[in-house]
Amino acid sequence: MKQKQKWATVYLVLVFILLYTPIFYLIFYSFNEAGTMNQFSGFTLNHYSALAEDARLLIIALDTVRIALLSALIATVIGTAGAIGIYYTRQRRAQNVLLSLNNILLVSPDVIIGASFLLLFTLVGFQLGFYSVLLAHIAFSIPIVVLMVLPKLEDMNANMITAARDLGASPIQVLTSVILPSITPGILAGYFMAFTFSIDDFAVTFFVTGGGFATLSVEIYSRARQGVSLEINALSTLLFLVAVSLVSGYYFIQQQQRNRKKLSQLDPTVHEKAVTP
Amino acid sequence: MTKERKWLAVPYHLWIVLFVIVPVMLLLFQSFRGLDGSFTLVNIQTYFTSRVYLTMTLQSFFYAFLITVLTLLISYPAAYFLAQTRHKQFWLLVLILPTWMNILLKTYAFIGILSQTGFVNQGLNFIGIGAQQLLFTPLSFLIVATYIEVPFMLLPVFNAIDEIDGSMIKASRDLGAGEWQTFASVIFPLSLSGVRSGIQAVFIPSLSLFMLTRLIAGNRVITLGTAIEQNFLVTQNWGMGSTMGIVLVLIMFGVMFLTRRRRKGVTVR
Amino acid sequence: MTEEIIVSFDQVEKKYEKETVLKTISFDLEKGKFYTLLGPSGCGKSTILNLIAGFASPSSGTVSILGKDTRDTPPNKRKINTVFQDYALFPHLNVFDNVAFGLKMKKMNKEKIKSKVTETLKLVRLEGFENRDIAEMSGGQKQRVAIARALVNEPDLLLLDEPLSALDLKLRTEMQYELRDLQQRLGITFLFVTHDQEEALAMSDEIMVMKEGRIVQTGTPNAVYDEPINRYVADFIGESNIVRGRMVRDYAVSFAGKTFTCVDGGMQPDEQVDVVIRPEDLVLTEAEAGDIQIFVQTQLFRGVHYEIMGQDDAGNDWMVHSTRQSEPGRRVGLTFDPQDIHIMRINETEEAFDERIEQFATAAYEKTSKGGAGQDD
Repeated sequence: MKQKQKWATVYLVLVFILLYTPIFYLIFYSFNEAGTMNQFSGFTLNHYSALAEDARLLIIALDTVRIALLSALIATVIGTAGAIGIYYTRQRRAQNVLLSLNNILLVSPDVIIGASFLLLFTLVGFQLGFYSVLLAHIAFSIPIVVLMVLPKLEDMNANMITAARDLGASPIQVLTSVILPSITPGILAGYFMAFTFSIDDFAVTFFVTGGGFATLSVEIYSRARQGVSLEINALSTLLFLVAVSLVSGYYFIQQQQRNRKKLSQLDPTVHEKAVTP
Repeated sequence: MTKERKWLAVPYHLWIVLFVIVPVMLLLFQSFRGLDGSFTLVNIQTYFTSRVYLTMTLQSFFYAFLITVLTLLISYPAAYFLAQTRHKQFWLLVLILPTWMNILLKTYAFIGILSQTGFVNQGLNFIGIGAQQLLFTPLSFLIVATYIEVPFMLLPVFNAIDEIDGSMIKASRDLGAGEWQTFASVIFPLSLSGVRSGIQAVFIPSLSLFMLTRLIAGNRVITLGTAIEQNFLVTQNWGMGSTMGIVLVLIMFGVMFLTRRRRKGVTVR
Repeated sequence: MTEEIIVSFDQVEKKYEKETVLKTISFDLEKGKFYTLLGPSGCGKSTILNLIAGFASPSSGTVSILGKDTRDTPPNKRKINTVFQDYALFPHLNVFDNVAFGLKMKKMNKEKIKSKVTETLKLVRLEGFENRDIAEMSGGQKQRVAIARALVNEPDLLLLDEPLSALDLKLRTEMQYELRDLQQRLGITFLFVTHDQEEALAMSDEIMVMKEGRIVQTGTPNAVYDEPINRYVADFIGESNIVRGRMVRDYAVSFAGKTFTCVDGGMQPDEQVDVVIRPEDLVLTEAEAGDIQIFVQTQLFRGVHYEIMGQDDAGNDWMVHSTRQSEPGRRVGLTFDPQDIHIMRINETEEAFDERIEQFATAAYEKTSKGGAGQDD
């Protein structure tokens, strides 16, 4: 038994190491005095100061965040409304059709999404650039928002709405004072997911961005094609720190919520249920 | 009551039409257009008679299959062990944290790691095998693609294993099954739903990882995705690109059909 | 005939981290009997099951099965099977494969498995359901599958962890009969866990009443019902009137301002005691004819009887189950027989209680009454 557990731990640790090696490799060489990613010749912060002075990259970074914040916001609004629409769709079949259509973009390879959006923008003569990228990001973020919000709607006690109506709430009041508050966690999760989808996207953006506009992913791609530049390593370190702080914040909030829940439903049989083989 | 609700969902329905239905139709429509814009079956004909295209498709399929198998082999035990650890939610988060790192940055890291004088070759030199050409080979494509896709397999498999009711395992042991028997006849069959969604989440994107083939495989591996990107953005042959896009969509539907949720086997809630 | 002991707990204690869930428990389970562990949720019932099935091991003390210490025996090597509260049927297997699971694990040959499974399904009246999916079965049917899945292995002991709690009232009563019948036909020892006292009374040969990790009283349903050891057991097993009283001397107790003849003794003179009278043992009469008088406050029609609540002159509340009707605001009398008065000493241990009952109850029966509620065998 003990022996088996030891092997399990060893295996997990090995997977951890494998998953983190490339990231730490990047971070490590961001401090390399020599400009390469293999011989470490001495410690320097030069690549970070170069990064700080790289106006083009900074603008691109800002644009990327701008696109992500904006597209996630709009996608969340449309997606939440859409989820409520699906929830209220009476016929099972119509609901299934809507859901299938919703999920098409989620399972489609991003090349397909990018190519077909490119066709769309060209057909209607839409100028490629900031707005085409923004629209594309909104478009591929909507289904994930729907998917995060819909379960919360289904978990909601439907009698609550009847009760609110019974107590004299108008449809809009029902929406704002009953439905929205009870699905808020889903909406926030949806926004968060949409935001990360947008930040991470490369392929779709690559297809629908014209020459003049770039996001970080596109910029990194074109720089990486030209070879190693330790400025990218420095950028990786910063982005990794951002990711770690976001994720630990998320984890912290989740833990707190869980603890609060525990307090409110103190269960005397917890220890009996806790016996797992 | 219903009127307001209808207005609420209008933007969403508009989105479905504009960004889901129309683009798919456009892709289909475009595949019937020649370079000069006329209606033609030439793209489809070319695709299905060209040995190059068909081998490429097969190859892409084969690589996606290999990547899926590799990620499954790595992720399943990890997910299984993870589900038994104490602070599993925390460790899960640590395991999938790398997915929050931009995929291109991770890919870029491998340019360093796999290069002639990189980390891996230094290691190979050290144990006496000597440096090998790793970068710009199909092997490097497999390594990096597997690396990138592992979390996407790990997560659904973990969720499926974690969702298995503890009393199932108890019941199995109670009925005389040993640890291995419990795994083979209860845990594994019940985790198959997770494996299926993992396959969906890994196989389909693996057909289209064009940035990897460009940055890591040095065009030694051409996936369907690479070919589509090539046709759309380099040679500007949108008709051919769309034809391949349709092929990719068809494969996608095939995979989804094969890995669909079976009514039997998964508890219907 | 010496009774064969299937399971024996000797000074068993169980702790989870800091919390003690079982406090030094000892008991034996004999072959062929129907035992019930009765207590509220969280009292440690399921822990006892887990210890017997092998999903937990005692912090101290020994759990032996058929005389052998089980410390190193994993669950799959014990000839004990469990019917789980939520059934824990395997959703990926059909009815046949669920029932066959244990036999397949033992690598029994296919023919034999088939005949045994068929036979067992017939036993729980599920013949013809072999190829059904678990999801297609109703609650009561799932319950039977779970029972068949355990029984087919011919266990020495069957553990049933609140198996009827998910069923509706009618099905539950039906299953109580069926379980009792199965147990008597097969002669397998059953250990049934429940928090439902009616279930316990209806099915068991012996009931173990638990409270906060201890067994407070063990006995036949009649014994536990008629001679509860304390206020807790009296309250838990059926509805009771429990009033404070004083033992005047042996066979005489004073409560509600009067002294009554009773069948208990062995206490200190003038000792404070709890007096229990079951609502159905109280007979409604005219006020003057009653042993005590109460002022009726509420009355509910319960189908078989009226449930009348009232208060006596000393301020004690009384509940009466009567087929006769009264009405709120009336003053009525209550009569009862000496053997309907149950005296409980405060904080008496089970051993002391048993000893005293042994001594006095039997003596008392010979002296005072013929028949009545007391049944002693």
